[in-house]
Amino acid sequence: MPESIAAVPFVVLAAASLLGAAMVVLSHNVVHAAFWLLEFMMAVAGLFMLLSAGFLALVQIMVYAGAVTVLLLFTVMLTLRHREDAERPLDLSWPAAGIALAVLVAAGAVIASFRPAVAHAPAVTPGIAEFGRLLFTQWALPFEIASVVLLIALVGAVWWSGGEE
Amino acid sequence: MAWVLLIALLPALAFAAMAPMSRAVRNRMQWLPLTAMSGSLVLSFAAFVEVWRAGLGEEPVWEAAVKLAELGGNPLEVGLRIDAITAVMLLVVTIVGLCVQVYSLGYMHKDERRGWYFAVLSLFSAAMLLLVLAGDFLLLYMSWEVMGLCSYLLIGFWHEEEGPRSASIKAFLTTRVGDVGFALGLAVMWATAGTFGFGAVARFNWGAGAGLAAASAVALLLLFGAMGKSAQVPLHVWLPDAMAGPTPASALIHAATMVAAGVYLVIRAMPIFIASSHENLHAVITIGVITAVVGGLLAVVQHDIKKLLAYSTISQLGFMFVALGAGSTGAALFHLVTHAFFKSLLFLGAGVIIHATHTQDIREMGGLRRALPWTTTTFTIGALALAGLPGLSGFFSKDEILVALVNIPDAYRYGLWEKWVLVGLMLFAAGLTAFYMTRLWIRVFGDNACSLARESHKKMLVPMAVLAAISVVIGWTQPAFLTFLGHEAAWPDPLMAGLSVAVFAIGVGGGWLVYGRQVVDTEVIKARFPYAYGMLANKLYFDLTYSELLVRPFHELAGWLSRFDQRRVDGVVNGAASWWDDFAGLLWAGDIRVIDGAVNGLGSLVKRAGARVREIEVGRVQVYQQLAYAGLLIVLLVVLLLPWLRVLLGLLVPMLRGA
Amino acid sequence: MVVGPVAFMALAALLFCIGLFGALSKKSAVLVLMCLELMTNAVNINLVALSRFLTPSSLAGQFAAAFIMVVAAAEIGLGLALVLALYKARRTVELDRLDRLKG
Repeated sequence: MPESIAAVPFVVLAAASLLGAAMVVLSHNVVHAAFWLLEFMMAVAGLFMLLSAGFLALVQIMVYAGAVTVLLLFTVMLTLRHREDAERPLDLSWPAAGIALAVLVAAGAVIASFRPAVAHAPAVTPGIAEFGRLLFTQWALPFEIASVVLLIALVGAVWWSGGEE
Repeated sequence: MAWVLLIALLPALAFAAMAPMSRAVRNRMQWLPLTAMSGSLVLSFAAFVEVWRAGLGEEPVWEAAVKLAELGGNPLEVGLRIDAITAVMLLVVTIVGLCVQVYSLGYMHKDERRGWYFAVLSLFSAAMLLLVLAGDFLLLYMSWEVMGLCSYLLIGFWHEEEGPRSASIKAFLTTRVGDVGFALGLAVMWATAGTFGFGAVARFNWGAGAGLAAASAVALLLLFGAMGKSAQVPLHVWLPDAMAGPTPASALIHAATMVAAGVYLVIRAMPIFIASSHENLHAVITIGVITAVVGGLLAVVQHDIKKLLAYSTISQLGFMFVALGAGSTGAALFHLVTHAFFKSLLFLGAGVIIHATHTQDIREMGGLRRALPWTTTTFTIGALALAGLPGLSGFFSKDEILVALVNIPDAYRYGLWEKWVLVGLMLFAAGLTAFYMTRLWIRVFGDNACSLARESHKKMLVPMAVLAAISVVIGWTQPAFLTFLGHEAAWPDPLMAGLSVAVFAIGVGGGWLVYGRQVVDTEVIKARFPYAYGMLANKLYFDLTYSELLVRPFHELAGWLSRFDQRRVDGVVNGAASWWDDFAGLLWAGDIRVIDGAVNGLGSLVKRAGARVREIEVGRVQVYQQLAYAGLLIVLLVVLLLPWLRVLLGLLVPMLRGA
Repeated sequence: MVVGPVAFMALAALLFCIGLFGALSKKSAVLVLMCLELMTNAVNINLVALSRFLTPSSLAGQFAAAFIMVVAAAEIGLGLALVLALYKARRTVELDRLDRLKG
């Protein structure tokens, strides 16, 4: 029998994420924007949970909501001279809006023509164990490459931050 | 007898050889013209012998012609002709020419440009010889012109000085005036008779009425030409000034040969004169008489020895013209011959005298008979010949002229009274001749003042001696001469002979009294007749008249034309040039502004467009991003809408094709 | 109501566009990076949702999303290091003022 995602959690989480995204863009304060981003991350994590992607939800919270957002906040703090500088104009531009709208329309057109084979989600999905097993077997190579990428990024970040000695 | 061409050709070749040489080389080549002239002399003798043996008088012994062109159906020929007249002239020219050349060896010995002198002298001789060899008026005219050129070159030989320069131009221009008449005469001759040959013209039937008028025209025009070359009044003004040239050149050209060319021309044209009206011969006589008298009068008051001899020449040429006017070509030619010898002798002597005394003014000379014995002897012979001492050549020739005057044919319509007036005037002129020669002799050779002058070199004396000898002898050949020419031979008429002797005695005696014994003081005479003396001293104001009436207006006209040319013509030319300049400037501005403007405009357009386009490169990341996304959208749109686009095109194309 | 893949896709599209709008219009480098995070997260949602509905057993979408997260983390780490380096050099992170490549 067709199974679907529970509607109420979805609507709540969707609303939360939309709100967070909107506030990031529409916030006058950079610090506030960063916190709204945090909120958004949390909402996305919830969505992941809803979609039975438990591992991803964990990683989302650990990496994004944790490290990335903290990183952003650190940077904001380091690039502000005065506390007052956190307040800034909104910098909204019509061309950007136009493009975003056009992209939305295009995406909408694509979605509208989407005819999925099944419109339901099966009840049982592989768990974290299966995820892990697949990660180190089927997806082992990308996994290794991903670690190299992270290493490079780490080195690069250190370099650019001025660690040249 | 075609070798007679060599007579004229040898000196011409000498000239042609010497002309291109450098001055140094030429100055050493004096033997060349002498050799040529000697050759010509020998050949002239040979020709003379030939003619003598033929005994045809004035009929040609030999003739040759070459056709130059065909003019209106008539052949234009020039050629040579040998008859008695030619033979005589050939001898005269070559003998006098050779004497003058030998004399010149000594006279021009130190001159820097003596080579050129000899070359021109040679060319002159060639031209004169060709003139007498000519068988037609055309070749005569051409040689005539070449002689004019040589005369110009020789008179103006010392062109570094003003005198010779202006004298040479004066001579050339004055004779040129005559030459114009000559040329016109030739034109009329051709138009009427259609030929230039002496024989043909002589036989030509001029007809009556218009033909006769044409004949008169030809005769008078040719006479005008002869007047120029033979220095008849009023075209005589060039001859005294021509004395600025080297004396031996004067001896050859202005005493013996070139000035005689006019007489020769009239001799050859005699048939025309006779065929036309007798009035023309009247004109000839009148001119001759006037010239003879005027020449004599002016000679009386001359101080310059050469100018005195020049006026004497003018006077003697007048005698020849009188003979011609009387219809006696024989008398004229005989006088021409005798005059050639003793006048050239006198000139050569004058050269020696001037050389010795370093002056040309006879008032500064004196006592030369002791210092220059040879010169004195030869000069005296020449002077006596000119004056007409019986036995010497001049006496015979002058007498012949008087006889001719007396025996003028009745056809010429002279009244008895007129004839004797003419004779009287000629006797007066003869008397004047004797008078002024005496004066000259006394002034130069007389006075016992001892001069320190030295006698001249042998080279200069020997020719003089030769000429003197000829002057003594040739008179006695008069009858033979006339027979040779085909005329009647006659010894001098006793009446005429007596009259001329009387006149001679009066002239000489008068001269001796006035200048030798100084019975009358010339100064007193001059003071009592200042007007007359002034007229004579100023050469009867001929030169002044010409200068005021002709020369000065001509100069002013030339100046006016020159200024006109400068202002108007050059103004127009310069104006056109500056207009063109402005036009070019306009084009240049156009080029600069329009063309360059277009080119530069295009360039700046590109620059500005580029600047505008460059504005996309704002350097701001957001702008780049937006642009990138916009591009992406467009691509997406095309991809998405491709099916619909295909449908649309499928509908549009038939529609467009249908339209 | 059936919350099917369309719902998730629509949500993801909306979030993506909001993020796009912010990324293209913000003038602070830090804010731009934040908006970039929005966009990547939207993409992740899309992938995971589609994987859940279409190929639930292979978990392909989840893995894709996982690796996208890795890259995004690396990217933001480097990006922020850049921003700090820029700030040290120019004392500003205003994108408008960083136009040395102009012209």
